Amino acid sequence: MKVLAIALNTFREAIRDRILYLLLVFAVLLIGSSRALSLLTVGSEEKIVKDIGLAAISLFGVATAIFVGVGLVFKEIEKRTIYTLVSKPIVRSHFILGKYLGLVLVLAVNVSIMTACFYGLLLVKGWADAAIASAVFLTLVELLLVTAIAIFFSSFSTPILSSLFTVTAYVIGHVSWGLLMLAERVNGLGRGICHALYWCLPNLERLNVRGMVVHGADVPLDQVLTATVYGVSYTIIVLGLAMMMFRRRDFL
Amino acid sequence: MKGGPIGAGFLLGACVAAAGVSSSRLESMSHREGSASVLYLPSGQYLKVVSLGFPELLADVIYLWSIQYYGDYDKADRYVFLEHVYSSVIAELDPHYIDPYLVGAMIMGMEAGDHEMALRLLDKGARANPEEWILPFEAGFICFDSLGDYERAAGYFERAMAIPGAPPATRRIHAEMFNKMGDKRRSLAHWSQIHDTADSDYVRDISWSHVHDLMIEVDLETLTTAVASYRSLHGRLPAALADLRRAGLTDRIPDDPDGRPYQYDAATGAVKSASPWRLFRKGNR
Repeated sequence: MKVLAIALNTFREAIRDRILYLLLVFAVLLIGSSRALSLLTVGSEEKIVKDIGLAAISLFGVATAIFVGVGLVFKEIEKRTIYTLVSKPIVRSHFILGKYLGLVLVLAVNVSIMTACFYGLLLVKGWADAAIASAVFLTLVELLLVTAIAIFFSSFSTPILSSLFTVTAYVIGHVSWGLLMLAERVNGLGRGICHALYWCLPNLERLNVRGMVVHGADVPLDQVLTATVYGVSYTIIVLGLAMMMFRRRDFL
Repeated sequence: MKGGPIGAGFLLGACVAAAGVSSSRLESMSHREGSASVLYLPSGQYLKVVSLGFPELLADVIYLWSIQYYGDYDKADRYVFLEHVYSSVIAELDPHYIDPYLVGAMIMGMEAGDHEMALRLLDKGARANPEEWILPFEAGFICFDSLGDYERAAGYFERAMAIPGAPPATRRIHAEMFNKMGDKRRSLAHWSQIHDTADSDYVRDISWSHVHDLMIEVDLETLTTAVASYRSLHGRLPAALADLRRAGLTDRIPDDPDGRPYQYDAATGAVKSASPWRLFRKGNR
């Protein structure tokens, strides 16, 4: 119950910060781009609108996860409200979990509304496709992981540094396939390090089926499920580390 | 201090004018830029890294830009990096994006006049998308229509028609390529197959016209060759076509596809068909 209370308060706080205004930007971007594209492109309008919609859902979600996520813990410390909280019978890990779940709720609402807008536009244009849902779902799983990473860094660092670290982790997560290419060019220990890093670092490309979806390829259910298991497992590990870091933190 | 607001007004006006003039000048300079702006466009392999999981979106952006760029006829040297833009950048960023292959090949062939470059792009697209019949079909059409290389065109059309979803007309165009390259017997074999497997009266009628005329052409070629052989063996022309069979120069004397016997002129050795051609082709009227 304490976790739920913290989560709901985090959700309310984010709503008060007018985070949902992002949705308005999303709707304008989507409708505006679909109108502009009909003037600029030769064919491909459907593919480009789907690309923009899926990318916008992902990028707005990541921006929310990073910039709200890194401030969640820090704001409590800065405003000294953390002292009130830690003096109460609340386990510190519950505090982190509550903050995390609150932000996940914000993201879930954001993504749901953006997806509804997106599907609305696709229906009007006659391009609606059920496979889009699998890409959006895996984007949400990616956001779960990015949020956990943001909270992990914010549990021991400042918001600016946490933002920087999380953005770096996000970038690495999308280009870690380059490590395998690098491994082919080096021998011995270097190759081992490349492989170790490849398997240890979060690989966000495993949660990216946007390319398959926009080209009309089938996304197998077992791929979606396996990717979900990967994303959720990684999230739990990172969240566990965040709880450990936060437990060791001294507020006196 | 009294002239302050007036001075500030003049300064502001001067700044607005300077900004407007410089902006306009920069705009005209950017039009002179030509291909230099494309020179710094990195390969798609590198752009894929910086796209951070959105290579398809980046491919869209560059594709949209390319349409505007190659549609600007003021840039005389705009084709210098044409292959780089479509093949090395867009196709590397999103290998399954079909429209840029088609539009790029069209610009390369029809605008830049480099059909081999267009074929290289379509070949690259076909390798990345073996399920897309349109790419080898377009390549075949370029070979047929622009290069007049019918043998190469036949190869592309054969690849296209082997892919599910290819329009039935692909088989007909493929069959006609052999006729274009002068191999009437192979063309007849393909057209006969199309006729025998036709699933509509339209296709049956079209294919029969081709089979009809090709059969006459093949028969006339066979009989004319046999007449020439007879003449070189016996020192005279045969009195009738039946002499060719008796001399062992042909197994049988065929009738034309309408069931009429071929007409033979014993004075000149010319063989012709009594039936009219069904198709209008150069040389058969």
